[in-house]
Amino acid sequence: MSQRKVLQGNIIVAKAALAAGCDFFAGYPITPSSEIAQYMSKEMPKMERTFIQMEDEIASLGACIGASLAGRKPLTATSGPGFSLMQEHVGMAVMAEVPVVIVNVMRGGPSTGMPTKPAQADMMQARWGTHGDHPIIALYPAFSDEIFSETVRAFNLAEKYWNPVILLLDEVLGKAHMDVEIPEPGSYEVFWEKTHEIKDLNIYDRKLGENPPRIDFFHGYPIHIDSLEHDAHGWPSFDAKTVDKMQNLRMQKIYQNLDDIIKYKEYFMDDAEVMVFSFGISARGALAAVKTAREQGIKAGLFQALTIWPFPRAALQERFKKTKKVLTVEMNMGQMKYEVERIAPCDVEKQTLLRANGMPFSPAEVLDAIKEFAK
Amino acid sequence: MRDYEKYIRYRTFPTPWCPGCGDGVILKSIAMAFAELNLDPDDIVVVAGIGCSGRMPTYFNTNTLHTTHGRALTFATGIKLAKPEKLVVVISGDGDATAIGGNHLIHAARRNIGIKMILINNGIYGMTGGQVSPLTPPKFFTETTPYGNIEPHFNIRKLLTAAEATFVARETVNRLMQLKQVIKKSFQHKGFSVVEVMSNCHVNLGRRNKMKSPLVMTKYIRDITMNMADFEKLSPEEQAPKYPLGIFVQDTERLEYTDLYYNHIVPVAQQAGAKGEK
Amino acid sequence: MEKEETKANQDALERRAKKKPSPKQNKLTLVPLYCKGCGLCVEVCPTGTLQLYDDPKNKFGTSVKIDAQEYCIGCKMCELQCPDFAIFVNYEEEKKEGGK
Repeated sequence: MSQRKVLQGNIIVAKAALAAGCDFFAGYPITPSSEIAQYMSKEMPKMERTFIQMEDEIASLGACIGASLAGRKPLTATSGPGFSLMQEHVGMAVMAEVPVVIVNVMRGGPSTGMPTKPAQADMMQARWGTHGDHPIIALYPAFSDEIFSETVRAFNLAEKYWNPVILLLDEVLGKAHMDVEIPEPGSYEVFWEKTHEIKDLNIYDRKLGENPPRIDFFHGYPIHIDSLEHDAHGWPSFDAKTVDKMQNLRMQKIYQNLDDIIKYKEYFMDDAEVMVFSFGISARGALAAVKTAREQGIKAGLFQALTIWPFPRAALQERFKKTKKVLTVEMNMGQMKYEVERIAPCDVEKQTLLRANGMPFSPAEVLDAIKEFAK
Repeated sequence: MRDYEKYIRYRTFPTPWCPGCGDGVILKSIAMAFAELNLDPDDIVVVAGIGCSGRMPTYFNTNTLHTTHGRALTFATGIKLAKPEKLVVVISGDGDATAIGGNHLIHAARRNIGIKMILINNGIYGMTGGQVSPLTPPKFFTETTPYGNIEPHFNIRKLLTAAEATFVARETVNRLMQLKQVIKKSFQHKGFSVVEVMSNCHVNLGRRNKMKSPLVMTKYIRDITMNMADFEKLSPEEQAPKYPLGIFVQDTERLEYTDLYYNHIVPVAQQAGAKGEK
Repeated sequence: MEKEETKANQDALERRAKKKPSPKQNKLTLVPLYCKGCGLCVEVCPTGTLQLYDDPKNKFGTSVKIDAQEYCIGCKMCELQCPDFAIFVNYEEEKKEGGK
């Protein structure tokens, strides 16, 4: 039986993670994500799962990657400053191809910024935070049920694609209590490759675009995992051809499976003349605004991105064939608007509604912007 | 065929270290300790950070992990917590463990998690070309202290004793048999253990301090080190430039972290859960 | 060769001069591929069996050679001190016996 409850966003994430089989949590307290660690510290020992509070965020993600290599499903949760510290290990997880889920409950920045106020300012950090070219998956739910489903999906994608997955939330989504439906176990997919074995040392060898099997230790075949660029065995190698091959394998496992990874929602988009592009907490205000606009006879629609990275480029391009006005609503000084501008054809009018002062957009504000833009 | 060769990955040889580097001797002594304990290679994980010492896991035919700079202990913590029955060995250089990874070192010691750390102290950042490290002796010349080092160096023995580590030892690469014995004892120890190994970097430290050859540098290490018993007889002034050797701390009383978590916290939590406490 | 290495060679010869050939037949095995010519084995050998020489084939310029096999007493000091797994004492023989 599914249950309807009133829960805090952070608690929904923690519950969903446990439901997805998360059995290792390493974290460091930071507002506004601490509730996830608190809930885990209480619930995980009951289930014989592992919780540890590490000495900093770098250590937290390090421990998660270690646990993942030892066959666990790890989670860590943080906010902006901690996410900055973690970036080195995000790269490590990409390079070693280790599944790990990182929750970033975004708060006002830069630096210590506004710990108790929401922002959507780590969108680009989620993509390009760590150095070097790398593939990344970032998800960003907006409504209470999505928080549950996207958390489960984050674990599934991490396991499927052997890559770190970043689950973005913001201070409002993390801290606010909301009405949520916790689905029955078994009604959602949980991906976990339990029966796998390592047969030879070619642990990274596979066809381009193929989903790799999970690599971890203790399968009777001693393997080497390296943070250096490596060949199919995992041994360090700087040979140009090998590097090319391995880089392509890492990138294409994501880019050849975009249909599986990219998820978005469209509201009133079929005949929309003004498209509102938004995500997270901003999408909540935008949806209400779009509904009111429709009541007032303005043909507005909402494109809500659930997968932020890789960017839902093809879906948006399809929409731009008919809809010629796009309004990007986001709580920062302009980050995802560049992605929209980059792919929108010249004949599409682009407008933005941006703010990073810690106040989420009210439906009335978005409605005013839609009206102004629709004229 | 030697027993320890089961733990060596010859296919990745030769090693990348300079001629005469102590890292090779440490590699051999760790493999010999594995062999004496007759461990299954799959029951061992060797984790290392960055630097010359960071390349060592590649040459062990066990589960091996080469990680980021200074963070080897954090990865090892994750592995040890996930699989407490495995032997988790961390190999770290002096810059790796005490500069960038200093925080992780003292916290692993405080936690007493069953990780076996081999801290290779060559007093220099070797792989990056010879910059000063927190363990470079005072007055030594390096690339970044061209007029002599003015910073005092960490005393690993005192640092870790203060951090409540339960096994602290120091050995040198000159005494392979003793080194192997100490490493073996640290592997048998339940909690967190650190074996500091005095090693020679004649190429990057020695060259700038009139000890260009490995033969001269190993002699220098022999001169500045002595057994703990002899060291205690010296006056404080005489003690200052010397390094005592041996096992300094061996506390078997304190419980190990994973033991505490799985055998003490988990049952308590489960009891609370059964009672329906929230 | 550098002056330290020449000195190590001379010291080895001096040590050898004080010894007599070993009555036991010990076999030394060199692995030229791994040897970097650091000279640590020459330094630790108590009977001066080993010598360094300039070797253009070695990328580090010097290599070790077995100069007086008959002086080897099989103490394995060189094998233990070698950082590169390039010298073994009675390797094949002990393999047959089951290895130690």
